[in-house]
Amino acid sequence: MRYRFFFSKRKKDRTEHVNDGSYVPMYKQLEENIHYINKTLDQPTDLKVRTITIAETTIRCAVIYIDGIVDDMTVHESILHNLESLSHVPQESDELLFYIYTKQLAVNGVQRETNLEQIIIAILSGQTVLFIDGQQTALIVDTVGGDKRQIQEPLTETLIRGPRSGFVETISTNLALIRREAKDPNMRFRTLYGGKRTKRKIVIVYMEGVAKQSIVDEIMRRLETLQIDFVQGSGHIEEWIEDSYLSPFPQILNTERPDRVISSVLHGKVAILVDGTPFALIAPATIADVLHSPEDYYERWIVGTSLRILRYLGAFISILSPALYVALISIQPGMIPSDLIFSIASTRESVPFPPIVEALLMVITLELLQEAGARLPQTIGQTIGIVGGLVIGEAAVQAGVVSPIMVIIIALTAIANFSIPSYSMAISFRVLRFVFMFAAAFLGLFGVVLIYIMVNIHLVRLTSIGQPFLQPYVPFVKKQWDDVIIRAPLGKLSRRKNDTQKR
Amino acid sequence: MIIVHDTTGNDQHISNGEFTVAFPAIIIGVSILELPSEVASATLFSDGWVAILVSGILFSILAILAVKVAQSFPNDSFFTYTTYLLNKPFAFIVLLCIIIFTTLISSYILRSVAFMSKQYLFTNTPPEVITLTFLLVVIYALCGERIDLFRLNLLFVPIIIFIFLMVGVFSIETFEYENLLPVFKTNLSGYMDGIMQTFSSYYGFGIGLFYVYLLKNKEKVTTCALAGISISTIFYLFIFFYCIAIFGNLATSNLQFPTIELAKRVSIPGGVFERIDAAVFTIWVMAIFNTMTMMLDTSILLIRTQFKKLKRQTVAFILAPIIFYISMFPQTIAQLNSYGSVVGNLATIFHCLIIVLLFTAMKIRGVRSYEKS
Repeated sequence: MRYRFFFSKRKKDRTEHVNDGSYVPMYKQLEENIHYINKTLDQPTDLKVRTITIAETTIRCAVIYIDGIVDDMTVHESILHNLESLSHVPQESDELLFYIYTKQLAVNGVQRETNLEQIIIAILSGQTVLFIDGQQTALIVDTVGGDKRQIQEPLTETLIRGPRSGFVETISTNLALIRREAKDPNMRFRTLYGGKRTKRKIVIVYMEGVAKQSIVDEIMRRLETLQIDFVQGSGHIEEWIEDSYLSPFPQILNTERPDRVISSVLHGKVAILVDGTPFALIAPATIADVLHSPEDYYERWIVGTSLRILRYLGAFISILSPALYVALISIQPGMIPSDLIFSIASTRESVPFPPIVEALLMVITLELLQEAGARLPQTIGQTIGIVGGLVIGEAAVQAGVVSPIMVIIIALTAIANFSIPSYSMAISFRVLRFVFMFAAAFLGLFGVVLIYIMVNIHLVRLTSIGQPFLQPYVPFVKKQWDDVIIRAPLGKLSRRKNDTQKR
Repeated sequence: MIIVHDTTGNDQHISNGEFTVAFPAIIIGVSILELPSEVASATLFSDGWVAILVSGILFSILAILAVKVAQSFPNDSFFTYTTYLLNKPFAFIVLLCIIIFTTLISSYILRSVAFMSKQYLFTNTPPEVITLTFLLVVIYALCGERIDLFRLNLLFVPIIIFIFLMVGVFSIETFEYENLLPVFKTNLSGYMDGIMQTFSSYYGFGIGLFYVYLLKNKEKVTTCALAGISISTIFYLFIFFYCIAIFGNLATSNLQFPTIELAKRVSIPGGVFERIDAAVFTIWVMAIFNTMTMMLDTSILLIRTQFKKLKRQTVAFILAPIIFYISMFPQTIAQLNSYGSVVGNLATIFHCLIIVLLFTAMKIRGVRSYEKS
């Protein structure tokens, strides 16, 4: 505590402007107001101050905005142009303010503000402020605009048969995407601003009467405790509000897909949208959600079910296969059929390393390839694929560093890992893979099962916003089982059969 | 998309399903490996199933009695109602005995894991390492909430049953019906001996005494107990029939761990795996884990009725070195087996006596009315 005090003291010594929401009344003189804003923001080049004398009078006024984050059309057409072409203007400045406020601005939102601090925040967030000389009230005009990204197909969650729209960085567009699909009067949007220095708009979306009120309240409570300077995307929010930060598993889903958000919200979950990121958060999550894809519902139920089973298999292969290789080759070769073990042994003859070293070598190479491929531009990314897949795999075998069966195992692991729909979960599995491999190297299958038990112990304890993470499995909830491993036909699917607040 | 469920919050009460599964979780343990050989040595041909069935029925009745006693005191812990039904010093002795028995049996289980691993997985690793790693995982589980253990049972018991069923399905081609016949050739003393042999395999049937007051819904607990014991009995019968049918009575009684040998016989079509005994052993570790966590949890529960200020974790950390130390005593597998059967039988008989005693005491003294308290 003492250190924190020390730091906070130092902060005050510097001439730093911390926006703590205090009240600074406006000055009467126009110049003083402009001077205050200029001094606070240190005269940035993109701050535009237009001082004009209103037609038919001698009253001066100033229009202040930041270039680039306002909608140019609105500022020019609706504010500047309107102000210049006023007619029948009252001569008193207070009447003038009221006149402009009520009659002359052809924009969506205008509000009056007397606090200079609030005005600065408004300017910084893309609004235009109109000062009138002699008045201690300014008008804040909603002109938020600037360049936005077009709605595109989500890159991280592609579906074969599903809507092609994905979230963008602008929260208003994202909310519109949700509204457009779900026209339910019970859909609730709750807005709050997070971050001590830079206020970021956070909107939680839920369905009144379907979502459990305690969960909504809990999420709101956790969001309100946000104690960070800058909310850098939804990742910060996720880490701040999740139940266990020591867990390797993500306890909150993230998605780029509006359809996924809507279907989650309709099932009583809460979505958290953050301005500036195309990733929405969905809470509470369960482990089954992580292995589900919206695709399951867009295809026929038999296909959906088969794909789900395939994905579960993929999850196990992704976590266990290198570990099982290590355990079987180094400690339990007796389990492999004798023909196979002979052929494996003959290929491993030239390999100078024990299986664990061989496996680690390949798994680390795989991790590096994956990481490099993700960071590179797409055109170079393909080169990485060729270099990694063909050259390293083939050359490593030829050089006698790894056995061909190891390359097969690694390829299988990588493919299985990519089949997991949630990227965050797939990363966790990659981490766990190493733990399992070391356990297998030390204690063989016994080690693998011990780690498996430990992971299960951890998962049983894990909660997501207070809800058990392993929910339909344990605690066992029978009526949810039509949509866990098997995706029951739509007619048989018990959609929100179990919400108690029936309306 | 999993629907957010309203009724199952993360509350700490045990549901009826979890309670049911707790019975096979604690009962199916070390003994499943030796039970066929022990029963087969006491009976002729396939007659051991009578012994298993009779003791299954016997222990079902006892389990139901235990649950009935606990059900009559729905809000009292074991120690509280034992004090009421008997008297305080006696209740204390009972408590102490149960704690000692669970500790001893836990050490036996722990050592069995080491022996079995040595037999089927690795020969070079010292038993201390195997024992310690396993114990650490158990302690990790015990450090959490009690409900987590019940949920782990629910996760693992289906896997265990499924794997043994698979062993059954894939060894069906070596199944010889002639080995099962003729029937009912054993004399009465043989049956009695067989029943005696199954005693230690049913240890854990009395958990109803300790856990009923934590249940959410206490109405149908007798059904739970009955179902729990029945699952275990059917599982035992299944394993026993398979062993007899595949190896014959003589071979079964001479094999040390016929259940694992069964897995060796399995030939999975397609030839992906040859001998799955190591895999079955691996799954068996889960069963052992369940048994051990449940037993130690009863210990912790009982100890904490006496020392209310002690945390779960503290009790677990105190018990762990004791169990580890005791587990290092048996040096050979013969010593371990005799230790296990003596302790297991004593503990089971002790539990039976306590349940009968408590039930009679309850019938004589009646149940305390709750208006007073």
